[in-house]
Amino acid sequence: MADSTLVEVDNLHFLRGERPIFSGVDLAIPKGRITAIMGPSGTGKTTLLKLIAGQLTPDEGRIRVAGEDVHRLSRQALFRMRRRMGMLFQSGALFSDLSVFENVAFPLRVHTELPEQMIRDVVLIKLQAVGLRGARHLMPSELSGGMTRRVALARAVALDPDLIMYDEPFVGQDPISMGVLVTLIRSLNSAFNMTAIIVSHDIKETLSIADHVYVIADGRVMASGSPSSLRDSEDPRVSQFIRGKPDGPVPFHYPSESFADDIFAASETP
Amino acid sequence: MKRSGTLEAGVGAFVLAGLLGLIFLGLQVSGMSFGQTDRNFTLYANFSNIGGLQERSRVTMSGVTVGRVTDISLDPKWLDARVTMQIDSDVGKQLSQDSSAAILTSGLLGEQYIGLTTGGAPEMLKSGDTIRDTQSALVLEHLIQQFVSNMSK
Amino acid sequence: MMSPLIALGRRALDLLEALGRSAIFLVQSLCCLPRLQGFRLWARQMYFVGVLSLPIIVVSGLFIGMVIALQGYLVLSGFGADEALGQMVALSLLRELAPVVSALLFAGRAGSALTAEIGLMKATEQLSSMEMIGVDPLRRVIAPRLWAGFVSMPILTVFFSVIGIMGGYLVGVDWLGVDAGSFWGNMQNSVAFFDDVLNGMAKSVVFGLVVTWIAVFQGYDLVPTSEGISRATTRTVVFGSLAVLGLDFILTAMMFGDF
Repeated sequence: MADSTLVEVDNLHFLRGERPIFSGVDLAIPKGRITAIMGPSGTGKTTLLKLIAGQLTPDEGRIRVAGEDVHRLSRQALFRMRRRMGMLFQSGALFSDLSVFENVAFPLRVHTELPEQMIRDVVLIKLQAVGLRGARHLMPSELSGGMTRRVALARAVALDPDLIMYDEPFVGQDPISMGVLVTLIRSLNSAFNMTAIIVSHDIKETLSIADHVYVIADGRVMASGSPSSLRDSEDPRVSQFIRGKPDGPVPFHYPSESFADDIFAASETP
Repeated sequence: MKRSGTLEAGVGAFVLAGLLGLIFLGLQVSGMSFGQTDRNFTLYANFSNIGGLQERSRVTMSGVTVGRVTDISLDPKWLDARVTMQIDSDVGKQLSQDSSAAILTSGLLGEQYIGLTTGGAPEMLKSGDTIRDTQSALVLEHLIQQFVSNMSK
Repeated sequence: MMSPLIALGRRALDLLEALGRSAIFLVQSLCCLPRLQGFRLWARQMYFVGVLSLPIIVVSGLFIGMVIALQGYLVLSGFGADEALGQMVALSLLRELAPVVSALLFAGRAGSALTAEIGLMKATEQLSSMEMIGVDPLRRVIAPRLWAGFVSMPILTVFFSVIGIMGGYLVGVDWLGVDAGSFWGNMQNSVAFFDDVLNGMAKSVVFGLVVTWIAVFQGYDLVPTSEGISRATTRTVVFGSLAVLGLDFILTAMMFGDF
């Protein structure tokens, strides 16, 4: 099992200012599978991806990708490793001064010495895969949100990475483009045997494609298992999250003193 | 990427125009000229008082700038000011040995400069020679003092 | 009781930390010279930073040269020394006004645009995604802009001086009737290429580096929200202008002062 683990997170601690985001997270992302990391908003799921990619440094603990400690690498080695990672940002993060074609060609141009004809072919194949070959002359400002994300996906897989990370891929998508993205993620995984990490709180879509799910809350892993085992979980916190009940063990209210005290204290402080 | 050709041409024109501007500043504004770079005829002159003469002050002949003062120091032997100047070698070659140097003032309060006047001797000055016949700067205080003492007599 | 002291200490530490960060940032961006591919990126930025700043520089230079000639004439003609007008216009432009005013305009025009552009790239995660593609944004985004600012500032200063002197000529000679020969002659006698022209250029190189550095660092280091961008843009103009004026005093003392 150990050699089929691509990403290994070990006792991760991370503070943002004074506030702990993670206090002792352990994860193992198996190679060639889709692993979902879920949890309520504000639990630092995006932060986790940035930690794995080495854009942030943990306060304690270790993250290893393909056996290498990400935060011990030199700047050059880190950038070399990132060529084998793809990341789909929530906003798409296309380069606004380049056309769709040039955006997808960008990783190829900077990392390979391919002739122009070959770059063109690869870009068109990737754009064909996301169904936007016809949109290659458009600028990012002319694309809809769903199309932006699909172009970003084509760019993320342009170099055929070993690991691809999806940051909230389903947020703010209409049902049709949501369906398109689900199909794309699944087909990329099965066709190229890519390892995928999906960070999301869209339960239905995520559970439908993930092989393995971690639920994170309060800075630690609250539950993990296959999608079906989580659906049947008896743990009240897990079932609250999976079924989307407004109040439960994960409280609806931000921590505060009692409501009555606050009301009567109103004359003193705002 | 189609527009990048005109864009780069624009940058090229920008840099080129900048260089032309620098040449303009060199030639028209600071008065450098390619012919005058040959200022390697050195002359020395001793003055008892140089007034406000500075390094880089002009050296003129009949009002035309022919060189610059390059160094001013105190001559340890005679305890007067020793001025080094570099002038055009074409001009320098035609200065006779009894040429004179005077420190002049442009206008009433203007900068001070050296005026050279050639003499009538047949021998010419060589580079590195010293001009003997010098006339020191007119210092306003001395003039006034003389004037006042003449009046009181 | 202690809190003002603590607040002061915290601010001082924050300031030191930001200075250190920006120094590391500058070294990391400049240490690796851009390669052939970087040349095109640099040329592109030269266009945005340099060529597009040209109109404001040219217009300001013209008017400032004209005003100096007008004011100078009024003062100098009182002494009957109006043929020294060329000298006055050229020296004040070359030594002070051209480097300083074009750097101030540059901070307002190009500096703020650089900060906003980089800030927007940060806010829309473009810098992050560039890092994830394995391209160092310091080299790809920051370095070409720094070099462009560095190179275009002296060129803009040359434009400012030349146009300003032309403006002075226009007012002094064509309008007020100063003799053209003595206008240029006095100027040529008093302006020294190395001492005046090149020292002015040296100043503008320093200003170009500092203003561009402040601008790109503010953009790179800002809080990626719309409020953060607008604050950082303001800071670029304020810090950039103050740095130019402060450095100008120091550089003038070093270059023209006799100590």
